[in-house]
Amino acid sequence: MLLVLSEEHKEHLSFLPQVDAAVVGEFGRIALEFLRRGASPKVYEGAARKLCVPVEMVQHGVEGLMFLMTESSKHMISEVDFLDSVLVLGFSEELNQMLLQLYLQHHSQIRSILSHLPSSMPAYHNLEWRLDVQLARRSVRQQLIPMLTMRVHLTRSDGHSDYNSRILQTDPSTLLHLISTLEAALAAMKTSHARRILRNIK
Amino acid sequence: MRFRFCGDLDCPDWVLAEISTLAKISSVKMKLLCAQVLKDLLGEGIDYEKVGKLTADAKFESGDIKASVAVLSFIFSSAAKHDVDSESLSSELQQLGLPKEHTTGLCKSYEDKHVALREKLRETSLRLGRLDSVSWRVDYTLSSSELREVNQPTIQLKLQRQGAESGAPETTVVSVSADKFRVLLAGKFSIF
Repeated sequence: MLLVLSEEHKEHLSFLPQVDAAVVGEFGRIALEFLRRGASPKVYEGAARKLCVPVEMVQHGVEGLMFLMTESSKHMISEVDFLDSVLVLGFSEELNQMLLQLYLQHHSQIRSILSHLPSSMPAYHNLEWRLDVQLARRSVRQQLIPMLTMRVHLTRSDGHSDYNSRILQTDPSTLLHLISTLEAALAAMKTSHARRILRNIK
Repeated sequence: MRFRFCGDLDCPDWVLAEISTLAKISSVKMKLLCAQVLKDLLGEGIDYEKVGKLTADAKFESGDIKASVAVLSFIFSSAAKHDVDSESLSSELQQLGLPKEHTTGLCKSYEDKHVALREKLRETSLRLGRLDSVSWRVDYTLSSSELREVNQPTIQLKLQRQGAESGAPETTVVSVSADKFRVLLAGKFSIF
């Protein structure tokens, strides 16, 4: 599929042929750093001063390049389609090849960065448990009550590395019921209905 | 096949696969690698550069290094968890295909650190709301805004514990009247 670039986008990218190839490579690197870590205005100012152009032009050029890369990676477009989409900008062959190289080198990285963007639900990380037997309380002596205490560690929904933890306590019969329910859920993967759908997704 | 060091269950497939990776390094380097993994399990941290040097002869890639560290951690912690003696561990590992010299080295390291490992595992077991310290103070109230002569002793107790849910330190301050405190003490001593 071909990318359709808006007029404004084309205008931003029209800055690129005015500088030489090494600078375009440098802009590519800045664009990828932007994706990984966020924009840094100092870099734009430095580049603008060296090239004697206004800061907005540099910023638009880099952002336009980054948008081109993310859109291409998002749709997983092939080399031919990428070249055709870029042809519309009227760049030189050398510049087109450079952009293609940039895309090919980094598209899997860009895809993995993009896949981390939407926030996910808390996911299982770790489970600690202990089995206790309650022998007596202040009011009742000579008891024998087994109890299972669990601490479930869940990853936070915004993907940070610290963990939520939840504490649960259950008796053994509830635990067995829990286990059988979860095993039934696993067994649902093997039904013909689920298999049919999985076959068609592949 | 049931293995004692896996808790009388089947050995996981990945352990079987990585035991063959372990067989690639020499038995001397294997003993040093075991020492490093044991240091990590006892909480002293692992020196990845040393591990890298030990595995460099066998030309392990980073995936192989991680796998061998993981399989040694599993073997040691699982054997300590189920309190397996080193002869059984040795015979079971040889059944799984680990060469004899490697097994003897591994079991020797295991035997040396067996007690320390079990202690460490006991410490890191799940505990909710561990009590860190108790401090107390006895005050004698002379008078208050409500009553001119009060003349009552009060106990202030400060309990410092680790929060059950969060694991962060929490402080609770309680003040107890003398009678209530006597009830508390009387209830406490009748457990034993």
